[in-house]
Amino acid sequence: MSPLLTVALGTALLGALAGALGPFAVLRKQSLMGDVLSHAALPGICIGFLVAQERSLPALLAGALIAGLIAAGLIQLILRFTRIKPDAAMGIILSTFFALGVVLLSHIQHSGGAAQAGLSSFLFGQAAAMLASDVTLLSALAALVLLILATFWKDLKLVAFDRDYARALGRPVAAMESLLAAVTAIAIVAGLQVVGVVLMVALLIAPAVAARQWVEGLLPMVLLSALLGAGAGVSGALLSSTARGLATGPVIVLVAAGLVLLSILFAPRRGLVWRRA
Amino acid sequence: MTTPDAPLHEPHLALHVEDLTVGYGGAPVLLDADIDIPPGVMAAIVGPNGSGKSTFLKSCLGLVRPAAGHIRFFGQPLAQARARVGYVPQRSTVDWDFPTTVIDVVTMGLYGRLGLFRRPGRAEREKALKALADLGMLDYADRQIGQLSGGQQQRVFIARALVQEADLYFLDEPMAGVDATTEAAIIAILQRLRDAGKTVVVVHHDLSTVKRWFDWLIMLNRRVVAQGPVATTYTRDNLRAAYGGQLAVLDPADHGLGP
Repeated sequence: MSPLLTVALGTALLGALAGALGPFAVLRKQSLMGDVLSHAALPGICIGFLVAQERSLPALLAGALIAGLIAAGLIQLILRFTRIKPDAAMGIILSTFFALGVVLLSHIQHSGGAAQAGLSSFLFGQAAAMLASDVTLLSALAALVLLILATFWKDLKLVAFDRDYARALGRPVAAMESLLAAVTAIAIVAGLQVVGVVLMVALLIAPAVAARQWVEGLLPMVLLSALLGAGAGVSGALLSSTARGLATGPVIVLVAAGLVLLSILFAPRRGLVWRRA
Repeated sequence: MTTPDAPLHEPHLALHVEDLTVGYGGAPVLLDADIDIPPGVMAAIVGPNGSGKSTFLKSCLGLVRPAAGHIRFFGQPLAQARARVGYVPQRSTVDWDFPTTVIDVVTMGLYGRLGLFRRPGRAEREKALKALADLGMLDYADRQIGQLSGGQQQRVFIARALVQEADLYFLDEPMAGVDATTEAAIIAILQRLRDAGKTVVVVHHDLSTVKRWFDWLIMLNRRVVAQGPVATTYTRDNLRAAYGGQLAVLDPADHGLGP
């Protein structure tokens, strides 16, 4: 595969993956949680690097995932034992973890050595570094998410719509939520290389928000969101390849944001222009 | 954990609650409540704001964990009796802009008996349609839920509980902010359930309709103030005990108490 094809395929898969999971984050009002998971990954990446003593991708991603889970756990503890509200708890944890990550990152960079090269690319991503093996990994991940959504569709929908009713029916609500959280965290970590910890959440939320404008029904929303995510991924990758010095991750996010803007303005019925007319 | 073979505890009661205490970290919201509701009645739970009505309901449904006490349905704990318990939450608890249709929401009431892997099919759709017809909502089956009025939302929620084919129904403020048509439709359905031998338990805020609609009454104010048949429980003394100073807002003549 040519490098550009690899990058385009990888960003498309990542966009589809995040796009398919995004509706559940948005509809469950958990969008900010995605931002927490991705920002909290930074110290995990740095610690993964310090432990492995090299830029070993499995070590970095494992660190990212563990840090994200610790952050999520801390938020649950804050909510349980204090009167702090969810948005404030998430804001505190997000910024603290990110600050810790930046401190570790600057420390690693000052300690020098060729090994740390490229670690800072996790801040804003570096799609060009994508390898064929990453595409294989993303394909497997996409297949896993597809399988999970197809298998547990009705309970995932019920939990997203009416959590308490699902619990009253005796549905396995905690299991469904953990499953969603786990695959979302994995998708976020998989995207960190490409889009970076700062912008990753946009890939989760933007396609879902755009898709909701055009369709009714959860299934159409998930399908369209995945499609828009893939579209943003590919076009971002291609656009950034047309000129020197255009970072792929941010361009992908800008494309996704453009889709949101178009959808908010022009979608039939829900669009602002339509409603004014 | 009680096994299915455990002896039944108070099986002649639709709902038996003993020594129930619930708190959210601070002072208990509900203190040492003993509540018994016989089968086949339409019961109202009334009390001032913060008296623990919703907390009581949520404890019964396993949505909040009590600090103490136990709850039995027809002699069984919730884990074994879940299929016999239906629930209508307050409609403000969900986002009505959620992308789904009326029939889809009603079908959710059947997810419990479908289990983890089975999908709703034709039989489930038929049941959902019948429940919608019972509430005069058949024409709305394929509408988006975002297009419904408040009263229609409430009827959809009740249809969703109806398909559960439960023996005991909990409803949380079903009459709050609904139109007269909906109110009449809801009351007709609930009375029909009661006449079919089901038990209906309603958290209710409008004292003026207690005597007209209900035959059983539970008055709460963090503790159980009074409970029993409406005829003997809906008294001025009990109202004063439950509502205290707030009783001043009540005109006895408006509430069927006589001069």
